[in-house]
Amino acid sequence: MAPREIERPRFGVLNGLSHVALAVWALLIVAPLLWTFLASFKSNAEIFGDPLQLPGALRLDAWGRAWDTAHIGRYMLNTVIVVLFGTAGTMVFGSMAAYVLARYRFPGSRLIYYYFVAGLAFPVFLALGPLFFVVKQVGLLNSHVGLVLVYVAYSLPFTVFFLAAFFRTLPEAVAEAAQIDGASHTRTFFQIMVPMARPGLISITIFNVLGQWNQYLLPLVLLAGDPDKWVLTQGIARISTLAGYEADWPGLFAALSITILPVMIVYIIFQRQIQSGLGSGALK
Amino acid sequence: MTHPGDITRRQLLRRIGITALAAGPGAGLLAACATAGTGGEPSAAPSTSLPASADPKNPFGVDAQKPLEVVIFSGGYGDAYAKDLHEELYRKAFAGVTVKHTATQEIGTQLRPRLIGGDAPDVINNSGPKSMDLAALAAEGHLADLASLFDAPSVDDPAKKVRDTITPAVLENAKVTGKDLVLNYTVSHRALWYNAKLFAAKGWTLPATWEEFTALGETAKKEGILLFAYPGQKGPYYQFWNVLYTAAKIGGNQVIIDIDNLVDNAWNAEPMKRAVTVWADIQAKYGDKAYFGLDHTQTQIKQLQNKVLFYPVGSWIENEMAKDKPDDFEYAIAPIPEVTGSDRMPYGAIQVGVGENFVVAAKGKNPQGGLEYLRLMLSKEGARGFTEKTKNVTVVNGAAEGVDLPAGLMSAARAQDRAGRNVITEARFEGWYKELFDYGTEQINVVMAGRITPEEFCANLQKKADAVKKDDAVTKQTRSS
Amino acid sequence: MERLRRYGFVAGFLAVPLVLYTVFVISPYVQAFQLALTSWNGYSSIVRYVGLDNFGRLFQDEVFWRALRNHGILLLVLPLVTILIALVFAFLLNLGGGTRGAGMKGVWGSNFYRTVFFFPQVLAVAVVGVLFQAVYRPDEDGVINGVLARFGVDPVGWLIEPDLALWSIIAVMVWQAVGFYVVLFSAGMAAIPKDYFEAAALDGANRLRLFFSITLPLLRDTVQVGWIYLGIAAFDGFALIQVLAGDKGEPDGATTILPITIYNTAFSYQKVGYASAMGVALFFLTVTFAVLTLRTTRRERVEL
Repeated sequence: MAPREIERPRFGVLNGLSHVALAVWALLIVAPLLWTFLASFKSNAEIFGDPLQLPGALRLDAWGRAWDTAHIGRYMLNTVIVVLFGTAGTMVFGSMAAYVLARYRFPGSRLIYYYFVAGLAFPVFLALGPLFFVVKQVGLLNSHVGLVLVYVAYSLPFTVFFLAAFFRTLPEAVAEAAQIDGASHTRTFFQIMVPMARPGLISITIFNVLGQWNQYLLPLVLLAGDPDKWVLTQGIARISTLAGYEADWPGLFAALSITILPVMIVYIIFQRQIQSGLGSGALK
Repeated sequence: MTHPGDITRRQLLRRIGITALAAGPGAGLLAACATAGTGGEPSAAPSTSLPASADPKNPFGVDAQKPLEVVIFSGGYGDAYAKDLHEELYRKAFAGVTVKHTATQEIGTQLRPRLIGGDAPDVINNSGPKSMDLAALAAEGHLADLASLFDAPSVDDPAKKVRDTITPAVLENAKVTGKDLVLNYTVSHRALWYNAKLFAAKGWTLPATWEEFTALGETAKKEGILLFAYPGQKGPYYQFWNVLYTAAKIGGNQVIIDIDNLVDNAWNAEPMKRAVTVWADIQAKYGDKAYFGLDHTQTQIKQLQNKVLFYPVGSWIENEMAKDKPDDFEYAIAPIPEVTGSDRMPYGAIQVGVGENFVVAAKGKNPQGGLEYLRLMLSKEGARGFTEKTKNVTVVNGAAEGVDLPAGLMSAARAQDRAGRNVITEARFEGWYKELFDYGTEQINVVMAGRITPEEFCANLQKKADAVKKDDAVTKQTRSS
Repeated sequence: MERLRRYGFVAGFLAVPLVLYTVFVISPYVQAFQLALTSWNGYSSIVRYVGLDNFGRLFQDEVFWRALRNHGILLLVLPLVTILIALVFAFLLNLGGGTRGAGMKGVWGSNFYRTVFFFPQVLAVAVVGVLFQAVYRPDEDGVINGVLARFGVDPVGWLIEPDLALWSIIAVMVWQAVGFYVVLFSAGMAAIPKDYFEAAALDGANRLRLFFSITLPLLRDTVQVGWIYLGIAAFDGFALIQVLAGDKGEPDGATTILPITIYNTAFSYQKVGYASAMGVALFFLTVTFAVLTLRTTRRERVEL
């Protein structure tokens, strides 16, 4: 018991240090975001003045301009639709492929696995040109359906890579027991394996939501002809360039705030589920 | 102050609008700057030229049933001028017609696949950092021949051809590999821009020589004002232009023409080296390195706060900063000071050029409509409306008359009047050899920051120019003067 | 019969993903690989094959090599720093609170931190770019330089000094990425049976020992996934660099990474063929990187 007595004060110092480290990092994240939010109420002169100064008045006009010029409302809705179906599709098809590749031995399974994973190693924008024609040929240009399918396809490599690794770690026994009980392969997958893989599925879902939410190049090319279908990143890029030409920086920061806030709220609402999902792993 | 002040407002407007680039002595110079490459035979592309009909109201035989699609680069001029004005004119001309309007900043990213895929919009405002390579488009026959537009009757006076209602520089700049394929719509004046009211308040005069320039730098320094700054982010090409124009002032327009023509060792010419040297000196003695990390808006705001005296840019700056401009700030243009004492062009020379490209897709669904749209843009109503909306002058003669022009544009017109035939030519390689131009905009920051010598700068650019010259994937163009 | 059912099931599960992936991902890439053998300019209808000329040119292309070097730095530093910081934070948040009652817990307020750390992940690159332009402003109006000025420090040109720019950019990428890996590693740590720690703590191991002898080895797989993904995320750095430093990798090309060079070559200079060749080179580099990472870090999986 003696060593424990000696160690107590060191725990205290370490505790203090870790709190400092965590608090500093939190500050590093909150400060710039807060600055963005405040900048939306500032005038151009204030934005380019002392960065630590608060806005002189509560100017809301920038928010109105941002809403109008960047069509935030419509683009937000478009984005939600595309990301919702995109992520759902990615998860369904990605987990199916990953499961089969991870837990079934059949001729060519390694090959198919690497076929998927190889897609990670190539920059997306080089495929843009040819992709445009592929999507055009299947008649899905300027449509959300086309964009969703493309999102699913481009999210598959990492999803398969990640989930295959995850399915491999799941114990054999449960699946075998289910099979002995006469459950079909499909039922085993949906009723036994998917619930067991929940933590992995949640991580990769978050990943795909974020990736698709922030996607810029694909919608830029695939929705080029129909501005009504544009997504949020296109709206941001538009207003960010406009800010440069028209010197409307408060408008830009207002637009940024408008896009950041709902995402944050959604995240804060769901973070409990996300973390409990990640935490209450079936890994035992 | 050197403003003559005795020109009437009306004369000024006439100078901008009518004689600006046309009949004046300066025009002869500009007019000579044609691309000589393929001999310049007019409209020799039967596949892309359209027959003109006899009806002066509808010379291209536009079918009102066919929709028209217009894609505008939404930059400094916004897109309201197209949406609320030019497209309305088109709708008025053809009752019941549908016009589809798209505004974008990514012209090339969005349109390149559409053009190749045979789904081209009819009118394209090919501008901005992602604009398309016109020579490459022309080689594939994507661009409609505008000769029939220039030869069509003018909207305002059917007895006149369109080509007689616009400044000749447009016709010269219309040539891409020898054919009339692009319409430049705006006129701009480039040199150094400053706050005339500040100069008046301090009792300063514009520096005409480099000694006066640096002396003013010392004076300004004591007041906490920088003599000169340019935006190192997004806008280093402003300074690249400035150095090129200074070289042309020292050694004549031939310096730039040789560079455009990829003449051996054009970059190593003495005037070029001298221009880079003097500006790098100014930066070292009177500049502030912080500006290497500021973009154009940030730098322009600093100038509005009287923290920067001279700023190298074009006349569009006044409209760009209109919202933020305080009352004690009045934009005015200053020519580049005399560098050597024996510069080929006297003090007063400024750059005057045309810009903002519009093309009509030859393989689009409605090329006739596209040409008609451009014809309406070139009507007095279309051009005056553009000037009203953007406070920038168009290439249409006299169209700005009656429009309340801001002080900066007036100053530009006076400067042009004084420059006379000493108009600095524009560097065409910016559009012809983008790789070379981009490299220059990168290297200008390096040399201005003092990380390489002016000699190294010129040598580096020469090396790049040689590489472009050797690269047979790049379409070459030439100009004779 | 069972065999047939098995294959039927496998085929059924793979069919849709394979078709989608082949049509929308592989077929465009295959075309891009073909283009690497041509001198296509992005417009012309006639495509001229030049064989391996494009690859030969790569060897003499200074810009390419500079971009390659910077890309290498990014590929090494970004995962290393991000994973290191994320591991430490994840450890503190999950197990840093010491043993109390039934098991290990995180430090006080760990839920708050986990939430906040994740925020940057939900920001689009355009947003982050604009944000950090203000943060890194080189005059005393910048957020960092404004703070420094209060302490009498001269403004620092975060993005304009060639020796500093790439690191400033990497810092932003780390800033953005750490949160996700904190959550990822937290999940991994939560899966480590509590009794491991309890036993070790009873033996008198302090937190540093717990971290190195239990947490790290058991997280190896997760860390490996993180490493590879960050290596791939380095591709996305190009959008951030375009917004922050400039689209030519300013200053002096100090922030040029391969995707920037490829993008400019293809879309600004219309050399799509040559750019595709760069892309193919990048592809093989990335594959090599991934294989090497997997090789050197491969070992028996820790049985739980």
